[in-house]
Amino acid sequence: MVTKEMETLSPEALSLFGKPTKAKLIERVVFWGFRVGTYFVLACAASIFIDIFYKGGKTVFQSEYPFINVEFLTGSPQTLHVFEHDGASYELSDSDFRVFKEEAGVSIVSDTYAYSGGGIWPCIVGTVLLVVGSMAIALTLGILSAIFLSEYSKPGKVLNAVRLSILNLAGVPSIVFGIFGMGMFVLAFGWNVSLIAGWFTLAFMVLPIVISASEESMRAIPQGLRDASLALGASKWTAIRTNVLPYAMPGILTSSIIGVARVAGETAPIMFTAAYALRDQLPWQGLEHWYDFFFQGVMALPYHIYVVSAKIPQNEYTSRMQYGTAFVFLFIVAGITLISILLRIRMRKKYRW
Amino acid sequence: MNEVDPDNRYDLNSSRKSFLGITWEQALKGLFGGNALVSIVVLGLITLFLFKEGVGFFGQYRESLSLHRQSGLEYVELIREELDSFSALEKYLNSIRSMQSEQLTAEGMEFKEIKATLREDEEFFYDFEDLGYPLREYVLDSNEVAIAARDRYEEMLNLRVHRSNLIEIGKTQEAEALVINDVDLEQLFELLKSKETDFIEINRKFRQSIPNIIEQAPLYENTELAAKMSRFRELSAMFLEELPGYEASLLSWDRKKPIGIGESFTAFVFGNKWVTNSSIQDWYGIAPLFLGSLLISLIAMIIAIPLGVGAAIYVNQVATPIEQTIIKPYIEFISAIPSVVIGFFGIAVFGTLVREVSGWEALSWISFFPMSERLTGFTAGGLLALMAIPTIFTLAEDALNNVPLSYKEASMAMGSTRLQTIIRIIVPTALSGIISAVLLGFGRVIGETMVVLLCAGNRIEIPRFSEGLGVVFEPVHTMTGIIAQELGEVVNGSIHYRALFVVGLTLFVISLLINYMAQKIVIKFQISRG
Repeated sequence: MVTKEMETLSPEALSLFGKPTKAKLIERVVFWGFRVGTYFVLACAASIFIDIFYKGGKTVFQSEYPFINVEFLTGSPQTLHVFEHDGASYELSDSDFRVFKEEAGVSIVSDTYAYSGGGIWPCIVGTVLLVVGSMAIALTLGILSAIFLSEYSKPGKVLNAVRLSILNLAGVPSIVFGIFGMGMFVLAFGWNVSLIAGWFTLAFMVLPIVISASEESMRAIPQGLRDASLALGASKWTAIRTNVLPYAMPGILTSSIIGVARVAGETAPIMFTAAYALRDQLPWQGLEHWYDFFFQGVMALPYHIYVVSAKIPQNEYTSRMQYGTAFVFLFIVAGITLISILLRIRMRKKYRW
Repeated sequence: MNEVDPDNRYDLNSSRKSFLGITWEQALKGLFGGNALVSIVVLGLITLFLFKEGVGFFGQYRESLSLHRQSGLEYVELIREELDSFSALEKYLNSIRSMQSEQLTAEGMEFKEIKATLREDEEFFYDFEDLGYPLREYVLDSNEVAIAARDRYEEMLNLRVHRSNLIEIGKTQEAEALVINDVDLEQLFELLKSKETDFIEINRKFRQSIPNIIEQAPLYENTELAAKMSRFRELSAMFLEELPGYEASLLSWDRKKPIGIGESFTAFVFGNKWVTNSSIQDWYGIAPLFLGSLLISLIAMIIAIPLGVGAAIYVNQVATPIEQTIIKPYIEFISAIPSVVIGFFGIAVFGTLVREVSGWEALSWISFFPMSERLTGFTAGGLLALMAIPTIFTLAEDALNNVPLSYKEASMAMGSTRLQTIIRIIVPTALSGIISAVLLGFGRVIGETMVVLLCAGNRIEIPRFSEGLGVVFEPVHTMTGIIAQELGEVVNGSIHYRALFVVGLTLFVISLLINYMAQKIVIKFQISRG
């Protein structure tokens, strides 16, 4: 590239520009290496998305009206019966199979595939319940604690130590919280495998994340805003309410959405505290007392994926259920995360000081 | 009341009302403080609870190990070692047989002919096998005695606990009605010890007959078979040489030697067996699980570090702005894939894919290909790498971003190329951030549960590092995996339950150390902007 300034240079100097040197060659090769590596990572992730969305999409969507497999989304998991009758082959879930057998009036021998029929409605319900309850606990405790740590506490060695340990706890593996929840809530408190045990386990798992992220976003707000507010005669709480929280809200919001995604996506903590492999009733059915609601186990999407992928063999009938569940689950979690990422990008542009 | 807080004199917004002498401001502060206190206490409680449940393990394990010694089970195990090495000899002999028959088949012989040929020297093989019977019987018998002794002793202990429980709740009569037979382990052990002469006799016979039998060993014309047979001769000579060692270890074994808490600790840390629900003895050695976790993490990191750091450098320094705005959120988005979905992908697609690739002709020169297993350390490690890349990428990219622009400008002004600037200036400046990114990625990988539970193959054995790179393609078990797999079936307070807690505690400590180190590195090597 020869620009205007270069025209004044001598021809010898000019010839140096654009000349392929060894260093430049190496640079190009190395940069291509980086580029290939980066796109390789992207391709690997894409292959997972495509595989699950393509194969799972076949289960969730259908070509006729209403285009969505309603039974899959609203039914509960059942055994699938595959058989031939009168020359036609059928694939029916357990309840349909019984009706069919009675109508036909003959005994039918069928191949059965556990968990492969019906749908995943109880799992969706269970996951939503788990997320709502645990986030309610985690956000209340987390945000209020963050306000105290960021606004009211006195800086010093103790505060730094507390901050450091909270930050460290954020990196503790989820299975450790699982074993803690099992020992503490399920066994020591005698709550058994229940919603409430799962709520607390999950809440304590995301608590460090919520606290540190919320506190971070509050501390990022310039001290000047607080000072100006106080100088105008506002009380401490008024200053926080009008000059800290509104600007910290986006950060708190993104951190809590990340928390939601984490809570919804984790399997290890609920394996022993809240999740049942199979349960006929929905959480609000068959309750003797209103408080029984909290002390019942639920089905959950991540645990269901674990059960159907680890405990039953792979074949064309079971894989339909496996991929369908994975599709719905990935769709929910990825959707939540996408929102948080987009929100964060927008917020970064909005507030800059 | 009006003069309580001079700061608030001109506060127009807050109400002056107070309840029980507490103003609204103070109440709010109390609320926030209370919540913070609850959070901190709860998070501290988790640590305490893990320690409390875990620490009890070592005492229980010590008791289990001393019962193992006192009932004589350990003694029987010493004898079993001799039986094991004898069985290894037999196995070697059988491998000669099957090799011979394979060779004959390859030569095109009929099945009947092969049988006839093999029959010619079957006497030698049968004779050798017969040698082992007395030893096998002896081990079985003594094992039975020792197990019976241990079971009776445990029953007595249980009954005693039951009786004291009954007395506690006031059912004295029932307690007195309980018949508890005192079990004298020492006496029962004498039964075992008295038969030691039999063992010496068996060994004497070995010394006598093995050389005799070996003289009758068939002489093969085939060089391969002959080589194997001469190797067998060496092996059996070695076995004979080892015999006095087994006897000596029996004699020096002391039933009364106490087992300290330190010994149960080392048995846990360095123990190479994790065996539960066994009829003989449960072993809780964390070494195979720890090494399994480490192996998988190393595989993942070897893949993830170049890709993660490379992608960070590419996006931060090389990529066009459009690429940047797309790739950054995309890689962050990868971290949103739930681990159980990745694990499922591993079972359904990736594991099969890896095995198929290993079966390609082009790769047949690699000694450990094609793989026999679908789910191996590599399957799990490869998927975990994908989970570690977003962590490494995001943090490393941040670190690169924090390098002051003037550094880059200065370097470019000196006439260096972009690559030279990156390698010599930017990466070294951001190195502390990159290292801590790698550490946190490692922390994420070692604590991951679902992927390893589904894809690592779950075989509890110390990975065979002696096999070189082939160890990567073997099924392994991990610390996280064992908790997830076994926690569902344990009895509250049992030794197994506590063992799992100690494994959890180990994970906890490891992840705390990694996080702490990552933070220290960042603080210590902060970029000076002077």
